[in-house]
Amino acid sequence: MADRIKRPAALWLYTGGIYLFVFAPIAASFVFSLNADRFPTLPLGGFSLDWYARVFTDPAVWEAFSHSALAALATGVLATFLGFGAAYTDYRYKFFGKSAYLAIALLPPTVPVIVLGLSMLAYLSRLALSGALYSIVIAHAVLCAPFAMAIIRLRLSQMDSALEAASWNLGAGPWRAMRHVVLPFAAPSLVSALFLTMAISFDEYAIAWFVSGLNETVPVRVLSILQGSVSPEINAIGGIVFLTSILLVVAAQVVHLRSSRRDARSARTGD
Amino acid sequence: MSKQIHRRTVLKAAMAGAGLIGAGPLLSARPAKAAPEELTMLSWYGHAEPDAVAEFEEVNNVRIKKKYYVGGDQMLALLAQSPPGTYDVILTDREYVEQLVAADMIERLSPEDYPFDDFFPEFQKFPGHWMGDDLYSVMIRFGYLGLSYNTAVLTEKDAMSYAVMWDDKVKGRVGHFDWHLPNFGVVSQFDGNADPFDLSDDRWQAVQDRVFSLKPQVAGYFDYGGVLSSLRSGEVAAIPGIGDWITGVLQRDGATVATAIPEEGGLMWAESLSIGKGSRRPDLAQRFIQYMTSPAGQVRTAKLQAYPALLPTEGGWKALQASDPDEAARQGMVASGPNAMDLLRNGRIKPRALPVRQSLEAWNDAWSRYKNL
Amino acid sequence: MLSVTNRSPGAVLSATAVSRGTVPRFARLIYPLAWATPMAAWQTLFFVVPLGFLIVLTFWKVENYRLVAALDPVNWIAVYGTPYFWSVYLRTCAMAAGAAALISLIAFPCAYFLAFHLDKGARRLAVLLLITPFFTSYLVRVYTWQAFLGDNGLINAALQGAGREPVAMLNTVFGTFVGYATLCLPLVVLLQFMSLVNIDRSLIEAARNLRCPPWRTVWAVIVPSARVGLVLGATFAFILTFGDFVSPTYLGGGNPPTLGILITDFTKAGNQWPRAAVVAVTMVTTLILVAFFAVRFAYKTRRRSHG
Repeated sequence: MADRIKRPAALWLYTGGIYLFVFAPIAASFVFSLNADRFPTLPLGGFSLDWYARVFTDPAVWEAFSHSALAALATGVLATFLGFGAAYTDYRYKFFGKSAYLAIALLPPTVPVIVLGLSMLAYLSRLALSGALYSIVIAHAVLCAPFAMAIIRLRLSQMDSALEAASWNLGAGPWRAMRHVVLPFAAPSLVSALFLTMAISFDEYAIAWFVSGLNETVPVRVLSILQGSVSPEINAIGGIVFLTSILLVVAAQVVHLRSSRRDARSARTGD
Repeated sequence: MSKQIHRRTVLKAAMAGAGLIGAGPLLSARPAKAAPEELTMLSWYGHAEPDAVAEFEEVNNVRIKKKYYVGGDQMLALLAQSPPGTYDVILTDREYVEQLVAADMIERLSPEDYPFDDFFPEFQKFPGHWMGDDLYSVMIRFGYLGLSYNTAVLTEKDAMSYAVMWDDKVKGRVGHFDWHLPNFGVVSQFDGNADPFDLSDDRWQAVQDRVFSLKPQVAGYFDYGGVLSSLRSGEVAAIPGIGDWITGVLQRDGATVATAIPEEGGLMWAESLSIGKGSRRPDLAQRFIQYMTSPAGQVRTAKLQAYPALLPTEGGWKALQASDPDEAARQGMVASGPNAMDLLRNGRIKPRALPVRQSLEAWNDAWSRYKNL
Repeated sequence: MLSVTNRSPGAVLSATAVSRGTVPRFARLIYPLAWATPMAAWQTLFFVVPLGFLIVLTFWKVENYRLVAALDPVNWIAVYGTPYFWSVYLRTCAMAAGAAALISLIAFPCAYFLAFHLDKGARRLAVLLLITPFFTSYLVRVYTWQAFLGDNGLINAALQGAGREPVAMLNTVFGTFVGYATLCLPLVVLLQFMSLVNIDRSLIEAARNLRCPPWRTVWAVIVPSARVGLVLGATFAFILTFGDFVSPTYLGGGNPPTLGILITDFTKAGNQWPRAAVVAVTMVTTLILVAFFAVRFAYKTRRRSHG
């Protein structure tokens, strides 16, 4: 018994340590964003909101935010859709050329981004598809779909395939089985995949730099500040992005809690 | 038929309405002005920030849309693959002008459009910006490269020779800006080559050997951001082949760093503006270049927030002395006494350039080998 | 040509058996094609062609700093002929393999905890929290690590406060690995978690009832059942670190260089994108082989454990 309690306690601490590692640079970046000094060195200089003021008053940064948010949202939806289709195909069917199919589905993350960026630009500009916001979406969907596919495929492999077959047998067409059996089962992984692909797109700069033309995104802006001036504006931008994403997480959590409470209540009254 | 027209009118009206809603905030913010014209610019970071271009944008009712690159070759690749005319104005280092001309990516310019009379004589027909009698790029700023050092570790006297890089005082604390040209260039000067980039194969071999012998001292190879932060944090104490464009920025932040031009000599970098091939707004681009070479634009580029620089025009010097004597004094752009041009005039400074007798690949290859020793 | 896989031994039904006779053949194809085609079409159109271009590019030449179409093996000879290329290649392989193994090991207890010791709501929150760091620029996070790892950084200040000697961490391979973990750790935890959380609990209960000690339960029941996710996590870690140049540059000081750095080096030599492409194609080939063997390993072991 004592063993059982001790084990989770150690694991608790360990997991806390991992989250600390993951969040330490973000927290530190937040601290430096409020630091008057330009370079992140110790001891800290005075407290200052100057870097935030600069970011907030710079229309270029706002433009970059809206570009990134739009591109990430479109990429996330598209990549999750592509990834789900491919994961489902891999789970459900065997066909001639399946390994080739899986290979081209999963290959993109293996290509170094800087070279992929250049060849994407070379190709898209010949199709007159370069230099726009949708160019980023096109390229990022290529890059992100494999991640979505991996996550969704992991979830699907836990689904009892008899389940879907049984519902077909009970007269539901494949489309209805998809809607009532497969999609609900895969839903958590769809949410994870959507978030993850949005995040990857939101943070990708090498390909975006090449294909986006004059449409600056947040990470492209961060890269140029980092390599061109090294100013805590990047920390302020990071802070804003982080707070926004945490707020979204909290909001999602609240919505979920409410709806599950409502479900519980209606289930009770239903009895 | 009438139905068709009707539908089209409705559609048009809807589109106009949507446009109005979209443009609403903009229109109400500046009701008196027409929509600003757009000028596209490809440059190093900082040259299209408000501290540089706000006045030009305001006066000419222009909005500059910029794209920043983080490496000259990346810039070349981007230009080569983008539709012609994407970028109206292009800011580059001198070495790349030659490459842009060779690749037919910039327009030829008319010298009479620009105030060359106001330029110091050395810069009126600056090699690299002119191909024979043809002008391709107009210089707006320059700077010197020598040995940057942490003043708490090395004295100015120490830094007056590149020999100090092999000293025990900076063992494991020599940093490199990760580009072969300036590094081989200053060591070539240390080796006594009058033209550091025009080397016989023997001399080139000697330069390589000399650089390779520095390996045990080296802390790392950094990009611009890495150079800044490693100097600032004290991680490295000496970096060859960089200059005030780094240490000037750090001094503003209170760091104990400086740049010396050692006895053996230093290099010079120069940035210039060109007009992209097929630009749809060549007149506006020309006006922008004129502004940046005018005293008002020159002062702004001298004090550029991203990184400061020397000015090639006398008018720029005078305007800076009048408006910000401290900065003029700090950079040595003063009317009397020793000034920044002396170093260039007495031959201590040589322009950074492409290798004359070897290929760029050979130099880069040697640099990669050095990093992998 | 198209058949349904029955992963569960109990399922004897197949798609064709269910719908035969009632629906015309082409209509039956609509459903599978609707799911299979989008990815195939998208990646063919926007990935395979650029990848093909990349391969073609390796045979091009650079004249007057301009890429010229050609069919010349000179770039392959030049890159493969440089001795340091192979040392960089082997070093990068070793570093990526080390990172994949280490990060997987570090991630596992965390993923295990999330999967087995948290209730559903807490799990969701934990997973979302794990993804949020991805939104904050990897560049910024790596750059901020400098403030921790530097000679005068936070960690060394703490060490000195405790009366210990400072340790060189920035601009070392250790620094690079910290960056690698920043890049991959959340993703690896996530992938491991995804497969751990779906393990059939009755298996674990059975092991416990058979008085199997906890660590043996983990090793003999949980690890084999989660094999796919574990291998997938390690593979993604290998792929991501193999091509990364941000961590080796900003935390490793570019010393020693990795393939990611070598690629940018080639592009710095008078527009030598063809040579960079040779390095890139070599990297892609390596990663395909790694991924291929990883997937085979994952599924093979799994089948044995079921049989």
